Amino acid sequence: MMKGKKFLALGLVVAMTGSMIAGCGGSSGSNGDSNSAGGTETAAKDEKQGGEVELELFSTKTENADILQKMIDGFMEENPDIKVTLTSESDAATVLKTRLTKNDIPEIVAMGGDSNYTELQSAGVLLDLSGEDFVSDVQEAYLDMVYDVNVDKEQTAYGIPYATNASGVLYNEDLFAQAGVEVPKTWSEFQDVVAKLQEAGITPFELTFADSWTCLPPWNSMAPVIPDANFTDDRKAGSVTFAGTHDEVVEKYLWILDYAQEDFMGTTYTDGNAAFANGSAAMMINGNWAISEFLNTNPDMNVNMFAFPSVDDESKNTVTSGVDVLLAVSNQGTDEQQEAAKEFIRYALKPEVAQSYIDDQFAFSAVNGVEQTNETVSGVAKDIANGKVSNFPDHYYPNGFDLSTILQQCALNKVNGMDNAENISETLTSCDEQYDVANVE
Amino acid sequence: MKQKKRINMVFYLMVVPMAVLFFCFHTLPFLQGVFYSFTDWKGYGDWNFVGLRNYLHIFKDKNVISAYLFTLQFAVCATILVNVLSLVLACALNAKIKCRNFLKAVFFLPYMLGTLIISYVFKYIFSNVVPAIGKALGIASLSVNILGTNHAWIGVLVVTIWQSMAFNTLIYLSGLQTVDRDLYEAAALDGATGMKRFLKITFPLIAPFFTINMVLSGKNFLMAFDQFIAMTNGGPGTATTTISVLIYKKGFSGGQFAYQSANAVLLFIVVVLISVFQLRVLEKREEKVS
Amino acid sequence: MEKVTRMKKEKVNWSITILLFFIAILFIFGPLYMTIVIALKSPQEMGNVLALPKKIQWSNFVKAWEMTDYPRKFANTLFITLVNLVFTVFTNAMASYAIARNRKKSKFFNLLYYYFISAMFIPFNVLMLPLVNEANKLHIDNVIGITFLYIVFGLPMNTFLYTGYIKSIPEALDEAAIIDGATPMQTFTLIMFPMLKPMTATVAILSVMWTWNDFLMPLVLLSDKSQQTLQLAQYIFQGQFNTQYNLAFASYLLVILPVLIFYVLCQKWIISGVVTGAVKQ
Repeated sequence: MMKGKKFLALGLVVAMTGSMIAGCGGSSGSNGDSNSAGGTETAAKDEKQGGEVELELFSTKTENADILQKMIDGFMEENPDIKVTLTSESDAATVLKTRLTKNDIPEIVAMGGDSNYTELQSAGVLLDLSGEDFVSDVQEAYLDMVYDVNVDKEQTAYGIPYATNASGVLYNEDLFAQAGVEVPKTWSEFQDVVAKLQEAGITPFELTFADSWTCLPPWNSMAPVIPDANFTDDRKAGSVTFAGTHDEVVEKYLWILDYAQEDFMGTTYTDGNAAFANGSAAMMINGNWAISEFLNTNPDMNVNMFAFPSVDDESKNTVTSGVDVLLAVSNQGTDEQQEAAKEFIRYALKPEVAQSYIDDQFAFSAVNGVEQTNETVSGVAKDIANGKVSNFPDHYYPNGFDLSTILQQCALNKVNGMDNAENISETLTSCDEQYDVANVE
Repeated sequence: MKQKKRINMVFYLMVVPMAVLFFCFHTLPFLQGVFYSFTDWKGYGDWNFVGLRNYLHIFKDKNVISAYLFTLQFAVCATILVNVLSLVLACALNAKIKCRNFLKAVFFLPYMLGTLIISYVFKYIFSNVVPAIGKALGIASLSVNILGTNHAWIGVLVVTIWQSMAFNTLIYLSGLQTVDRDLYEAAALDGATGMKRFLKITFPLIAPFFTINMVLSGKNFLMAFDQFIAMTNGGPGTATTTISVLIYKKGFSGGQFAYQSANAVLLFIVVVLISVFQLRVLEKREEKVS
Repeated sequence: MEKVTRMKKEKVNWSITILLFFIAILFIFGPLYMTIVIALKSPQEMGNVLALPKKIQWSNFVKAWEMTDYPRKFANTLFITLVNLVFTVFTNAMASYAIARNRKKSKFFNLLYYYFISAMFIPFNVLMLPLVNEANKLHIDNVIGITFLYIVFGLPMNTFLYTGYIKSIPEALDEAAIIDGATPMQTFTLIMFPMLKPMTATVAILSVMWTWNDFLMPLVLLSDKSQQTLQLAQYIFQGQFNTQYNLAFASYLLVILPVLIFYVLCQKWIISGVVTGAVKQ
């Protein structure tokens, strides 16, 4: 009896192993044919014909995985001798840094124009693309933004800006109509809107602070407007501190929290997006990248965006917009890989390809002549066209300065009942301390 | 009698290749880590010696200090709770019960499952199921996602206990089964029952198992990583950032490679000190009680 | 005989039995049941997570299977687990045998013993950063490389377990074999290794569970998609699962199912294996 059972177990394990190995062999064959995301090394090796070049496209966003895959499929159809695989994973920034330590740089990197880019660029692993013909295809204003995050601000294109984003207030048009409110242009109007929404029994804000990065957008909207314009440079030089310049930012930040849904600290970005799409609240302070997530849940949602009204002087309020995706090429690959990677960028910059990308992502294009016409972002499209934009302030903070956790802590303090004045001073003190720690190399 | 025997060369061949590999892939990286902790290396590019700068910096860095305090707090609570609860469970399983083997197998199941997946499942339970139950019952403290509060670490603690109890219970149970039942009868005649019997007779006999469990679980909890990455990612704020999480999150980023190497070396020293301390104290106790 | 009568005399403690069943149902079967039910449902049925699905959605498994490239990840994980198992058991037992039998005679072997044992206290995080750096230079940031690393990294714990057990086997046995003309290698393979079976079972189970469920080492070492393990894939796809909890849970279930089957079939053997390791020390 006992023996029988054991043999049965052994047999099952052997059978499972056998069938799995067989299954795996079959699948790697089909992977090679269909060029699905999980292309396998063995499959590639088997099918390697003369001159096939393999590229890895590493994306730091998970939201654009589908459209990038489509882009890759289109590219490979035109260039059958180039094989591109997509890597898109959660917490990609940390993974990318791990790979930098291993000197295992993907051939093409699609990432934001932020401190992670600075780190890659300063490590000297990116190819200088300044001399390429396609540099002239993108708007100079966005190229400047990329130059700005080069470690010594040199005017060299190590990354080609591709898509830009807009961060502000996302709102549910139906709920606004139901409460009879208009899009606010100033901070006072904003306060009125919130009061009226509440009177109408509508939760004003859906916040998703369980994911710490979502604590950043309100700050990113206010920080470029409220303090002096020179703040980032002065702070780097050490002549000013967050304390004394950002008090109003934190004060308004805390005010918003008063009108958020219950348990906003425990709501994750994915759960919050789904709830917002189903009308749980009227506004969400985040960026255009969330829109595709809403529409996945509720395709009929009427959503739009407006610039966060940080102050009462309407002319000062801006949409926060930065380079959401830039394309960079590793200089660690072979010459063929570098050429193929440039070819991929050339393909991506084609107006029709760039258009389909921004249509899918509700993003804005850095490519000349490609415009976002979708209704859902019409509220900010005009501001962006008129240049009423500021870049993300956190793109200028030193890498390693983790503002999102400080803000998450600030929100947690609020929930725990800490007095606002105390919270403001504690938050800003901790900003200054952490900034100094990160700024000293 | 103690004549020096020549040791057959084959014995060297049995162990030396493994020892060499172990040195190259375990000891060498360890020594490299110690070496880097005295430099300003970024993980790539040039580097300079900076002496003890990284170490001095650690003691001024709030992030590191709070990670150490949190990890210690977590490890102490988890070690105590896991061992107490496992001991209780083991005693219950050792009682005269029906289906003992089945129950034993069921309670050991969590050990088999990966921490990462368990954490994802519990993360869902904490953020969606528990608040729904809390709201239905009208209990305010249960209607929020605990992982988004100051008490986030308790959520992680629950998962850690859930999983770690499996192994510890089994060890205690096997210890309890070595205790001869005649001893209990003798004790009963002396009037020792219940708690008194446990403290006076049972516990001293299973003390060695207690030592093993305390040391092993203490060391594991000091290095807790998977459950935190999966459930809170160190948040909210930095409330649940353990040392391991900190080293992973910061070690590969901006100029902190060498700095976090110093942090890792410090972690090593802490783990060794605590383990040695535990062994000393527990062994002394064992001697005393037996 | 006497024992049997006494056992009969002792009454079954029903209250504890019932309590234990209650705890098992609430804390072990409950979450497991929920995982299975969610994996089988459609998103529309998530209102009551504990209710049974109206119609079983096998498509969740199909989607999760394709999305995570399950067959490849499974093959990688199985390769790591099995190859590590075979090599670990043999090489580590052999090294421990050499150490255990010569510790008393030779300073060198005694030193090796303490060298391995003390390495147990070095947390993986301490070598992680330099190791990642070396891994690429030596091209061991792949399935084969990580398997090799597991074999090496398991050495301290396994030496500890094996030497303790070997000590309890009388040395007269090897001496008899050597007098009969056996070489140390033959003594080990033919006499010692079979006798180590109980401890080998322990080492085997601990190794299998470790490699199958490990997350941190694959996370920092395996960046190539085709090389990733099942656990790592779950982490990586968190972002893409999004709010599709049914899909995510189906994927989790696909990872724990092999372990569950293995456990149900070999449960007695696994439990006694783990106990041997702890008790024989």
